[in-house]
Amino acid sequence: MDKASVALVTGANSGIGLAVTRALAERGWKVYATYRSAKRAQPLRDLAKILPVVPLGMDVDQTASVKKAVRFLAQKEKGRVDFLLNNAGFVMAGFWEDLSDEDLRAQFETNVFGLLRVTREVLPLMRKQGSGKILNVGSVGGLVALPVLGPYSATKFAVRSLTDALRMEGSLFGVEVSELVPSEIQTAVAQNARKAEKALAKDSPYSGFTRDFEKFSLERFKGAAPVEKLVRVVLRALEDHPMKRRYLVKAEDHALYFIKRFLPDFLLEAALASQFPWCKRPSSTIQSGR
Amino acid sequence: MENQRTVLITGCSSGIGLESAVLMGQKGWRVFATLRDLKKSGPLRGRSRDLPVEILTLDVDDPKSVQKGAAVVLKKAGGLDALVNNAGWGAFGALEDFTDEEIKAQYETNLFGLFRLTRAVLPAMRTRGRGRILNISSVAGKMTFAGVGLYCSSKHAVEALTESLRLELRPFGVEVGMVEPGQFQTRFKDNRRKSQIFQSGRSPYQAVLEKILQYGNGESAKAPGPEVVARTIVKALEDQKMALRYPVGTDARWFPFAQRFLPDGLYDRIVSYTLARFGEARHG
Repeated sequence: MDKASVALVTGANSGIGLAVTRALAERGWKVYATYRSAKRAQPLRDLAKILPVVPLGMDVDQTASVKKAVRFLAQKEKGRVDFLLNNAGFVMAGFWEDLSDEDLRAQFETNVFGLLRVTREVLPLMRKQGSGKILNVGSVGGLVALPVLGPYSATKFAVRSLTDALRMEGSLFGVEVSELVPSEIQTAVAQNARKAEKALAKDSPYSGFTRDFEKFSLERFKGAAPVEKLVRVVLRALEDHPMKRRYLVKAEDHALYFIKRFLPDFLLEAALASQFPWCKRPSSTIQSGR
Repeated sequence: MENQRTVLITGCSSGIGLESAVLMGQKGWRVFATLRDLKKSGPLRGRSRDLPVEILTLDVDDPKSVQKGAAVVLKKAGGLDALVNNAGWGAFGALEDFTDEEIKAQYETNLFGLFRLTRAVLPAMRTRGRGRILNISSVAGKMTFAGVGLYCSSKHAVEALTESLRLELRPFGVEVGMVEPGQFQTRFKDNRRKSQIFQSGRSPYQAVLEKILQYGNGESAKAPGPEVVARTIVKALEDQKMALRYPVGTDARWFPFAQRFLPDGLYDRIVSYTLARFGEARHG
């Protein structure tokens, strides 16, 4: 791989972002690795001591912050940027009814509007050089929407769509855009999840469902893949010319993608409902509370 | 009439909203037809004169207006049998071109506003143990096209909301679904908000966008009228069991079908070939 290649990775201080940053830097890339909170940037500072990593403060929620960070990179690298990993994001968990306007807005501000903000600053550089790759971190939650994860799924559905549009629009200028579609990976994403304003209310009519869901997600995270598996997929995407439309990580993700694509809605719904027994209880037995 | 069913429909000044308000009134529903601007209620007023249709102002972008509108309707109706989330519009431009404000305006109506009103009527439906929420999504909720990526992404988000809310409300007897129209002759084209940079003629994507716009306008001139969608809405609300999706329009059926069954690589090639032909406008 080209020695002087330059990458920008957002949300790089932990999980997927940190692992990709390390892997690229180990392979000779110069990686501008962004973090939101300086207090949590220590892993990046440690990495910067031994590898060509430049930790960079950037809050994707703030236009000025994004502009400043990308301008810094452009100055240092004389406008060159070969790869952007749009990774910054978090999970907002809660039933739709429990969600405040601010909860939903915060979820979109980072996962969708933030992604667009960073892309908007990086695209002109890539267009100018007539090349570049952008990988947006989606999720299998962007293929199938689950209860309790509705707001998160909504952002990842949007990311899937934005990736398709960016892919078409970027192709006019030699810029390749694809979606990375992970499912459960061993990261802190679940611990970092935020909860809807009223999610913990004792009188929630959804409390039975919450128990189902906790069991379901605990079970799912038992099968979480090591982050190295995902890193290998990213490295493969960087070698692909052209990049594929989307990159799935685990075999079962491919199965889910297949199911979503070819199974009639009602069968998929029945399959999902079977995961959440509360779903199938007759309404008369549910206290409608609040 | 004691057993008269009640429905609240948003975005009724024209197009799908207007047609469905009229048709549901004709079918005997008590209709609360809302629109953002009462000054634009003329056409609906004219068509619903002898029908059980009440016209109210409601701006889904405005939390206070939503609270008030929902409260007024719930009080008048005593309970709501159905909510049709129809208000929406489409942004036009390359994704790189949109400002923060343009992006947020698109989501404010198509997603946040839809959610706001849904949340406002939900407790009433839940405690009654019945009700239907029908979101007007779009073929753009299943497929993405260049030049309308922002609009498509907002409709994709509506799809996720609908799918997950449907599961969340299943035990309460509240049914959630969506109608996915393709292109119809509505005011969608006129209500389209083009990115400022495109309007000023300085978008890096200008020539391609102009081609796409021209093509889109040509297609919509050939499209059928919105009364077809209104019939689908009535069907969804009167079906014994509401399905998750009701695609309507030839394009709404065929495009997603093609996307479903073509391998990604081939689909990609067709899309980029088509776009490249649009792209030739840059040089010619």
